[in-house]
Amino acid sequence: MNYSSEVRQRFLSPYGVGVFERSSLGVVSGEASDRTLNVWVCFQVQVVDSVISSSRFQVFGCPHTLAAASWVSEWLGGRPAIALRQLNIRSLADMLEVPVEKFGKLLLIEDALLGCAQALEGII
Amino acid sequence: MKKIEPIYLDYAATTPVDPRVVESMNGCLEVGGAFANPSSVHLPGQRAAQMVSEAREVIAATIHARPQEIVFTSGATESDNLALKGTLMGRGDRRGHLITVKTEHKAVLDTAKVLDRAGFEVTYLDCDSTGLIEVRQVADALTENTILVSVMHVNNEIGVIQPLPEIGQLCRSKGVLFHVDAAQSIGKVPLPLNEWCVDLVSLTSHKVYGPKGIGALYLRPGVQITPLVHGGEQERGLRAGTLSTHQIVGFGKAFELADMKNEAPKLETLRARLWEGLKSIDGVRLNGHPDRRSPNILNVAIPGIEGESLRLAIEDIAVSSGAACNTDSPEASYVLKALGLSDSLAQGSLRFSVGRFTTIDDIDRAIALVKKEVTRLRALVSFAPDW
Repeated sequence: MNYSSEVRQRFLSPYGVGVFERSSLGVVSGEASDRTLNVWVCFQVQVVDSVISSSRFQVFGCPHTLAAASWVSEWLGGRPAIALRQLNIRSLADMLEVPVEKFGKLLLIEDALLGCAQALEGII
Repeated sequence: MKKIEPIYLDYAATTPVDPRVVESMNGCLEVGGAFANPSSVHLPGQRAAQMVSEAREVIAATIHARPQEIVFTSGATESDNLALKGTLMGRGDRRGHLITVKTEHKAVLDTAKVLDRAGFEVTYLDCDSTGLIEVRQVADALTENTILVSVMHVNNEIGVIQPLPEIGQLCRSKGVLFHVDAAQSIGKVPLPLNEWCVDLVSLTSHKVYGPKGIGALYLRPGVQITPLVHGGEQERGLRAGTLSTHQIVGFGKAFELADMKNEAPKLETLRARLWEGLKSIDGVRLNGHPDRRSPNILNVAIPGIEGESLRLAIEDIAVSSGAACNTDSPEASYVLKALGLSDSLAQGSLRFSVGRFTTIDDIDRAIALVKKEVTRLRALVSFAPDW
């Protein structure tokens, strides 16, 4: 398997890994998994005044999934909460040079973000 | 010998050619050497034929057989094909029955599938959770149409050793041929064919520091097989094609150098050190029987880690994983699944195999890297899926 330099760098030093403190305010979570794809993803975002101030993630998955989650975590910071529904997975896959057969794994990141968006709407 | 980087712990996949083997092969390639066609009657040809003959004697002696019982092939895969197809297809009808095991090498299983599709009956025996079968299973599977039983000696993925002497006795008593894929055996475990009731044995050179592309099939006298390759009378008509003198000479030299008595204990020590180091990782488990195993292979399952990420994380160690990585969507090893491992756990398994040039430093560095990366990858997730 070949990996782009971006994937390798993010695999070795992923951005945003972890969870928020339980006492953190404005934090919502979303998770998605698929046993057949051997992937589990959980995202947490902290939203203040409809803006995502920060995000955290955990992932059980392949290097491409980990790198993509890291990129998404970095991308979310400072964006309006609507960004949770605006992630373009195909562009992300192209940018990270993710093989087409792994596209389904990246869709689980999208599902996890949608889970965050729905949780946020529940709060609002 | 130059240090191989990254740390090479994949000797069960293939081995580097021993410099002494290279030297012996070089003597067969150029003008002034034994380059001529060994089938030619002129002096250079006879010189090459003599070297082939000497190599054949060494190879036969290594497995306690006689030179005329050795048929050279391109490797163990071809030998397996010749053994299975050669015994069943030569009968002129499609009523034959083959018994083999679900954990055999693909060279046997894929050949069995071909025979199955051609109309032969094939029984695939299950192994237990340690990778072994029992003689009773073979006995229960035998039918009046059974022609051949094929069971490997040392499993290439998990290193377990099947109870061949007992299976051989059973087959001989029932008049059924018995084939053994012994590609992983030489230099590691004894293969005393003079004591076992075995009819056909697949051998290869490149697992024993010899060249790739050369192997042999041991054929007990009196066993009739149909050749697969036609076009000459080489190898008593059982395998046509100009004999590859340099490959055969290298094969012979490699077997001559295979010093099981002295090397196997060293391999055992290295493997034991590796297991001692790895077993402190939380949840790690040994795949395969703990005792009935070859001294050079260690297969471990590391739960809580996705297999592909584990492989990338430890890419500085050349090992085989529990996944067939010839595709971008790796499938879990069918051998590990046969032992009862889940897809995820099989994909998170690693096969380490030590060899002649492995050092204690290699082992210690590998242990340190695996431990460090397992800790790092496990920190990425507080919850590991239980699938």
